[in-house]
Amino acid sequence: MTVSASPMPSAGYEPGDVAPSRGSRSFARQAVVDTLARPSAWFGLVWIGVLVLTSVFAPFIANSFPLFVKQQGHWSSPMLRYLTPADVTWLVAFITVLVLAALRKVAFLTGLAIVLWMVALTLPLTLWPAVIKDGWLPGAEAMGRGTGWAILVTICLGAAAILIGVLLTIRPPKLIIWGLGIFAAVVLLLLICCPIDPPQAIVYEEFRNKEVAGSIESIIRTPIAFSPNDYQRDDHNACLQPPSTKHLMGTEQSGADVFSRMIHASRIALSIGFIATGISVIIGVIIGGLMGYFSGTVDILGMRLIEIFEAIPVLILLLTVCAFFGRNLYLMMLIIGVLSWTGNARFIRAEFLRLRNQDFVQAALAAGLPLRSVIFKHMLPNGITPVLVNTSFGVASAILIESTLSFLGLGLVDEPSWGQLLNQARAGGTGFQWWIATFPGLAIFLTVFSYNLIGEAIRDAIDPRLRKRD
Amino acid sequence: MLSYIIRRLLLLLPTLIGITAIVFLTIALSPGGIGASLLSAQGSMKPAERKVRMDYLNRRYGLDRPYIVQYLSWLNKVSPVGGKEAGEGFPASWKFGFKSPDLGESFTRGRKVSEIILEALPVSIILQVISIPVTYIIAVLSGIYAARHRGKMVDVGIGTTLIGMYSVPEIWVGVLFIGFLCNNDYVRWFPTNNLHDMQADSMHFLPHFSGGFQRGWLLDVAWHLVGPVVCISYANFAIISKLARGALLDTLGLDFVRTARAKGLSERVVLFRHAFRNSLIPLITVAASILPALVSGALIVETIFGLPGMGKLSFDAIESRDRELLLSDTFVISVLTLLGYLLADIGYAIADPRVSYDS
Repeated sequence: MTVSASPMPSAGYEPGDVAPSRGSRSFARQAVVDTLARPSAWFGLVWIGVLVLTSVFAPFIANSFPLFVKQQGHWSSPMLRYLTPADVTWLVAFITVLVLAALRKVAFLTGLAIVLWMVALTLPLTLWPAVIKDGWLPGAEAMGRGTGWAILVTICLGAAAILIGVLLTIRPPKLIIWGLGIFAAVVLLLLICCPIDPPQAIVYEEFRNKEVAGSIESIIRTPIAFSPNDYQRDDHNACLQPPSTKHLMGTEQSGADVFSRMIHASRIALSIGFIATGISVIIGVIIGGLMGYFSGTVDILGMRLIEIFEAIPVLILLLTVCAFFGRNLYLMMLIIGVLSWTGNARFIRAEFLRLRNQDFVQAALAAGLPLRSVIFKHMLPNGITPVLVNTSFGVASAILIESTLSFLGLGLVDEPSWGQLLNQARAGGTGFQWWIATFPGLAIFLTVFSYNLIGEAIRDAIDPRLRKRD
Repeated sequence: MLSYIIRRLLLLLPTLIGITAIVFLTIALSPGGIGASLLSAQGSMKPAERKVRMDYLNRRYGLDRPYIVQYLSWLNKVSPVGGKEAGEGFPASWKFGFKSPDLGESFTRGRKVSEIILEALPVSIILQVISIPVTYIIAVLSGIYAARHRGKMVDVGIGTTLIGMYSVPEIWVGVLFIGFLCNNDYVRWFPTNNLHDMQADSMHFLPHFSGGFQRGWLLDVAWHLVGPVVCISYANFAIISKLARGALLDTLGLDFVRTARAKGLSERVVLFRHAFRNSLIPLITVAASILPALVSGALIVETIFGLPGMGKLSFDAIESRDRELLLSDTFVISVLTLLGYLLADIGYAIADPRVSYDS
C-alpha cells in the first residue's frame, strides 16, 4: 500500500473522525487495516499480484526457447540467452522491491527512488551487447547514428554517475542528488524518444526443429512453449486454431499462441496504469498545490486551465496524438497522464485552501522555511489523502484507455496487448473466433475490476463520512 | 443568475480557444506536418509530381504559412465576429464585423465540413436520446432499492455488481455482442452494421401487416440500435445507480427526514416525497458529465457498430488525417460539452434553491 510507508498524521480530517478508541495506530496504518478487512480488496490484490508475477516472469512462463537443453553432452540455457533488456529490467526491479520489502525500514519515496535507479542502471548494461555485436544504436533508425551514439553515451554516463554517487557517499550532498535527478530525467526522456529493445535475429522454431531432427538429448521447456511473437512458421495449420492441449487459449490470425501473448501483454497493462497515474498525480499535485496555496489570481488562472483540460474530448485528442506521432508506449503513458491530472489538482487545491490558514502552516511560514518545504513537507502529507484514494481508479481508467487505443488499431504493432488481440477478434475477413474475443476481454475486465474494487475498499476505509454513519 | 450566465458564456471563449489550439498544435507539430500526412494518402510519387502536389496543397490550404498565422486564420473563419470580405455580413461595407461562421472544407472528402457534421449529429443524438432516459430511470430505481436495504446482502451484492458492470470494457461488450448475437454461426438476432436496413428507404414509417409482418422504418432503426444502446448504457447505469444510492443515504441521515418519520409518515412518503427530491442534486451534476458523451463518448460504440455519428466521424477524420474536419469536429464537440456544463449549473440552481451564483 502506498499509504502505509509515509507517517501520515490524522490532521487530514477532523479529530473526531478517527475515533480515539482505535488505539495508538496511525491514520495510515488504520486505513490499510480497514482496507484489508474487506474481501473485495483481497480479490483485487490477489489478481494484481498474479499480474505482477506473470509480468516479471513472463519469459520463464511462455517462451519458445527451452529453459535448459542438453546438446552434445552439455547443458545450456537458450532462454537466458534471448532475454531482452525489458525482461532483465522487470526482473531487476522486482528483486529490488523484494529486497526493500525484506529490509522493511525504507520509506516509500526512498524505496521508489532506489527502484528507479536500479532500472536506470540496468538498462545501459543490457543495451551494450547488441551495440558490440550488431552495431545497433538506440534511436538510430529515427534520428541517425550520431544521435544514437549521443543517446547511448548519455545513458551510460548517467548510469556511471549514479553508481559513483551511490558508492562514494552513503548520504550524498544535495548537489549530487540534484545532478543525479537531472540525469535521470534526461535518461527517461531519451527512453521516451527511442525504443530500447535492440532487434534480434530470432529463429523461434530452432529448438522444435532440432527436437524433430533428434539432435537434442534432453530438454526442459517453459510451461507454455511458445513466445508471444512466435508465428510458428514451421506449422502450416497454426493460424486460428481453437483451444486445445497444445494451445490452451488457441492461436490468433498469424499463428501466435494467444495465452503466451496474454501473459506478455500483462506488462503493458501494469506499467501503463502506474506510470500514467504517476504522471497525472505529479502534475495535479504541483498545479493544485500552487493554486490552493496562492489562491487569488493563480487560482483563477489555474481553474481556467483545469476547465480547458476537462472540456477536451480526451479520446479524440489521444487518438490524434497516437495517429500523428506514431505508436510509442511511453508517449501514450505521457499523454494519458497529461490529460487526466485535473481531478487530482481539484482535490489538492481544496485541501490546500483549507490547510493554508491552519496554525501549523502559519508556524512553518513564520519559522522562515522556504516555500518548497512548506508546500511539499508540511502541507502535502496532510492533503494528499483524497488523491491517493483516487489513484486506484486512475490506474483502472488508464488501462481501459490503453486497451481502447490498441483496439482501435493505434497501439503498438509488435508488442502483444490485450486490446490488440480483441481487435483481431473484430477484424473482418477471418470471421469471429470466440477464443480471441473472450480471453483478452476477460483479462482487461478482471484487471480493471480489481483496481476498482481496491479503490472502492480504500475509499470506504478512509472516507470519514461513511465511518460516522456506521 | 443572468449575469452569471453571461459571465460563463464569456469564459467559454478562452476555453474554446485553448482546446482548439491544443488540437491544432498536436497536428501541426507531428512529424512532417499536415502536408506530409496528406501526401502519404496518395501513395508513391515521382519527386517532381510530389513537389507539384506539395506546392498545390500548400497554396490551397496555406500550409506554408507560420503555424500561428494558420491557426489564427482558421479561428477567424469559424468565429461569427472577425475579419471578412467587404460586401458580405454586417456591416456590409466594413472589412471587420459579423459574418456567418464557416467550418471550412474537408481535406479528403471535398465537401463542406458543416454539411458532414449536420449529417452525423442526428445519429449521435438519437443514440443518446434513447439511452439516457432509460439508463436514468432504471439506475435511480435500483439506487433507491439499494439504499432502502442498506448494509444487507442485497445492497452489497448490487454494489459489487455495479462496480463489475462499470469495469467491463465497452470494446469487449461490443465485440461479444456482434460476435455472438449478430453472427450466423451462433444466433443472428441483430444486424451488425449501420443505422438502417438496405431497403429502409422503401419502408413505411410504422410497422404494419401487408402479406406478413413488415417492421417499418421506425422499428428498423430501433432494431439496429439495440446493440449500441446496450453498449453505451450499462457503464453510465452503474455510475448513476451508485450515485443515487449515496445521495439518498446522505439525505436520509438529515434532520428533516427524522422529523418526517417522527410525524408518523409512512416510509414510502418519507422516501419519495421528502428525501428523494433533495437527493436529486448530485445526479444533475453527473448529467453534465454525461452530456459531453452525447457527441464524443460514443466514439467506440459508433466505430464498432459502424454508426455514422459524430464519434465515427472524428475517428475517420483522424484516420484519414483530415485536419479541417478534425478541428471543426472537435470545435463543435467542445462547444456542446461546455454548453452542457453550463446547463447543469443552471439546473443545479433550479433544483436547489440554496445554490446561488450571484456573489
